[in-house]
Amino acid sequence: MIFRLALFGLIASSLVGVIYVITEPMIVESKKDARNKRLYSLAEPLLSEGKIGNPINKVLANDAPVSLINPLPVTPINDGKLQIGAVIPFRALDGYSGTIELLLALDIDRRIVGVRAIDYKETLGLGDKIDVQKADWILQFNGLRYMDLSPTAWAVTKDGGQFDSFTGATITPRAVVDALAETLAYFETYPEIVGGGK
Amino acid sequence: MKLTTVWLDGLWDRNPGLIQLLGLCPLLAVSNTIDNAIGLGLATLFVMVISNASISLIRHLIDEAIRLPSFVLVIATLTTSAELFMQAFDYPLYQSLGIFVPLIVTNCLILGRAEALARRETLLISTMDGLAQGLGFFFVLVSLGAIREQVSDIIILAALPSGAFIALGMLIAIHQVIQKTLKQFRAITKSDIKGRRVRTTGNIP
Repeated sequence: MIFRLALFGLIASSLVGVIYVITEPMIVESKKDARNKRLYSLAEPLLSEGKIGNPINKVLANDAPVSLINPLPVTPINDGKLQIGAVIPFRALDGYSGTIELLLALDIDRRIVGVRAIDYKETLGLGDKIDVQKADWILQFNGLRYMDLSPTAWAVTKDGGQFDSFTGATITPRAVVDALAETLAYFETYPEIVGGGK
Repeated sequence: MKLTTVWLDGLWDRNPGLIQLLGLCPLLAVSNTIDNAIGLGLATLFVMVISNASISLIRHLIDEAIRLPSFVLVIATLTTSAELFMQAFDYPLYQSLGIFVPLIVTNCLILGRAEALARRETLLISTMDGLAQGLGFFFVLVSLGAIREQVSDIIILAALPSGAFIALGMLIAIHQVIQKTLKQFRAITKSDIKGRRVRTTGNIP
């Protein structure tokens, strides 16, 4: 009987192996698709003129905020030879359930084209309203520059800022707004990272 | 065992979500939106049907000692396959379901059906039972998802796990009420028939 069980195990694992080999290229592809779709939807306002370039890894100085990984992959949006914007990944480490991964699209004047939450484990139905598929909350950043508001206004209303948090969940929007403010402030100091001038 | 009983049991009389109360963990956790409910419902249905079918096929090859490990092996294989397929064909859905796709392995409904039925019955009955029970689970999951998604805009509680308990409790209550009325109705019609029955052949006890 034990040999029979071993045989079952062998058959089962080879079956999973075959399915894995078949689906693996599709999985890689669909992961890439999902990422590209987000990049595309995010950079759409820029794309009427430009194209998504290849990501470039930029090494950041030591004073970079924790919201940015180092080196930072910056995806430029190019119009012919000129760069007209960039898509940058950033993250909020202090979400309600772990890290929230986000994407940020800026035009060349560092005006926000769009922000999207791409990977998070926030409470379904509450904290997940940062996802554009669930709510429009994250669209309120569109068109803003860091300089447009005073540094204290870059916070949720509960902390004296000007961004609404949603009912029942404060930690999630607070984490996102704070990480975004940190990131934008850093790019004001080092605009060359996203391809802009002072 | 009759096919009609199998179908009636799965969809209504012994519905896994409303009567047997099996597989509650995914039922309560993933019913917050309709999309999630449909995704997990279909994945569970897929695993359920094929696991019942394959366990029925190998039922003569396994004895008491290796019964449970074999069942778990079959279910785990199918769940891993379902996970891979879901990643390949609907990655966003896979992302939003998260941990609950691999957790189908531990759904006691699937092991329960293997243990209670598939290891004794023919391929046809077992497959149909998998389909019936899986669909029964699917419908409860989707109705719960629909209710919670609609109500969560008005009452935040509906989006929380406790809201799932309350909503499921209401569904069970409705099911019980309908079941009771049906029983009474059946009893009335039965006695009606009995009263008018004419004896045609001999030997009726």
